[in-house]
Amino acid sequence: MVAEQFLELPEKLSAFNRAVTTKVPIAQTPKEVVWTLNKAKLYRYIPVLPEEKRHPVPLLLVFALMNRPYILDLRPGHSFVEFMVKQGYDLYLLDWGSPGPEDKRLKFDDYTLDYMPRAIRKMKTISGSKEFSMLGWCIGAILTTVYSALRADDGLRNLILLTAPLDFSDKQGITFARWVDERYFDVDKVLDATGNMPGEMIDYGAKALKPVDNYVLNYLKLWDNLDNPQVVEAWKAMNTWVTDNVPLAGGAFRQLVVDLYRNDRLMRGEWIIRGERVDLSQIRANLLTVIAEADHITPPCQSEAIMSKISSKDKELFRVRGGHIGIMAGSGADKITWPHIEGWLQTRSK
Amino acid sequence: MPDERAPNGKDFDPVGAFREVRDNYLDVWAKTMVDAVNSDAYAKATGTMLDTYLTASSPFREALEKSMLQALSQLSMPSRADFISLAERLTNVEMKLDDIDAKLDEIANSVKKPSPAARPRQPATARNRRKGAK
Repeated sequence: MVAEQFLELPEKLSAFNRAVTTKVPIAQTPKEVVWTLNKAKLYRYIPVLPEEKRHPVPLLLVFALMNRPYILDLRPGHSFVEFMVKQGYDLYLLDWGSPGPEDKRLKFDDYTLDYMPRAIRKMKTISGSKEFSMLGWCIGAILTTVYSALRADDGLRNLILLTAPLDFSDKQGITFARWVDERYFDVDKVLDATGNMPGEMIDYGAKALKPVDNYVLNYLKLWDNLDNPQVVEAWKAMNTWVTDNVPLAGGAFRQLVVDLYRNDRLMRGEWIIRGERVDLSQIRANLLTVIAEADHITPPCQSEAIMSKISSKDKELFRVRGGHIGIMAGSGADKITWPHIEGWLQTRSK
Repeated sequence: MPDERAPNGKDFDPVGAFREVRDNYLDVWAKTMVDAVNSDAYAKATGTMLDTYLTASSPFREALEKSMLQALSQLSMPSRADFISLAERLTNVEMKLDDIDAKLDEIANSVKKPSPAARPRQPATARNRRKGAK
């Protein structure tokens, strides 16, 4: 048996190398670009159901600034976007694009008060609906929360927050907060040298939270399952996304570190966005907060406090077993997280 | 030949046994490393490394930027700062165009809406019926 395994080694190594180095087609759900501004694009997914069977309230997906949003449409047969389009949602995705050196001054102020209102205005024009729903994931959840608080009368009916890093008060429980502590990390020195926060550094930071899982176990999982095409395909799709890094605009990164990780200004009601204080009690939209119980990037303690700060009468906190990305893109997402989000949204999109 | 059967009667699988030992070891290692990176000592060490790199590379970076700027200036070519300024202006123009586009959409929609004279007659209400009876 050992001899057999040894003889299979060259073939296995070759298959492993192919899996690690080849990219797979991702983001295959048909869509069209309906709006652009600088690097940002608003996509509308082509509906598959006739208009009378579709929900009248459109849904806007807002992902993080430093990763590609196609994690929401990873591969055919395992795509949240594809699932929601089939359920009759008029679906839009805001892709922030990759900031260049000319975007190093972009801040949360610009994203929430210049980009988002214009993208939403376009979405309303196309859909013909004055109301809309919004789903924000990770940093996208910060953006949607800020927008919802500052533009509470803009027609937002439903807000869905996935693994939302909003509360930065527990410095011991948040590893990133330790790393960017002002005693150890000079954010201005880094940004003076790089302009934007390089995607590679962000990727290192995310992976270093669980170094053995990301640098060893991830590849061992592939090695052990090389004879299982389904696992290999899923691994390749995820690897394609993980290795496709995007820098974070310098201005936004500085705010993230100084205003949020160090001073917790959002939850304390002290965050000023272009002269306006972000008051979470202004949020009145129906709220669904999804927490990943094993999330190392956004520990659950960061997403819980929002529930008591907002004025929404209809609010729900939903906990899912899994990690930051796994709850939406893992093998169990289509059985737990997606149906729950869809079920919650369906009754509120009529 | 030695008997390769385990006490429970199943074939002994040395590779499977190796995997089990490996996975147990990696599990312990993974937990230890998560604790290690979530410590002030790790934050201090990585911060010091990054700071040292930035301090050491700063003179080279500045010299390169300065010489590049001089070279571009002598060749009458725009610098990075010029491009950045131009790109920022373009984004502002794009935003203004977007606002104009939205206003045009609004006008087009209001034109499409039927004028009051062209609107179909309202179904008869109790009040209308009373007026008609007079």
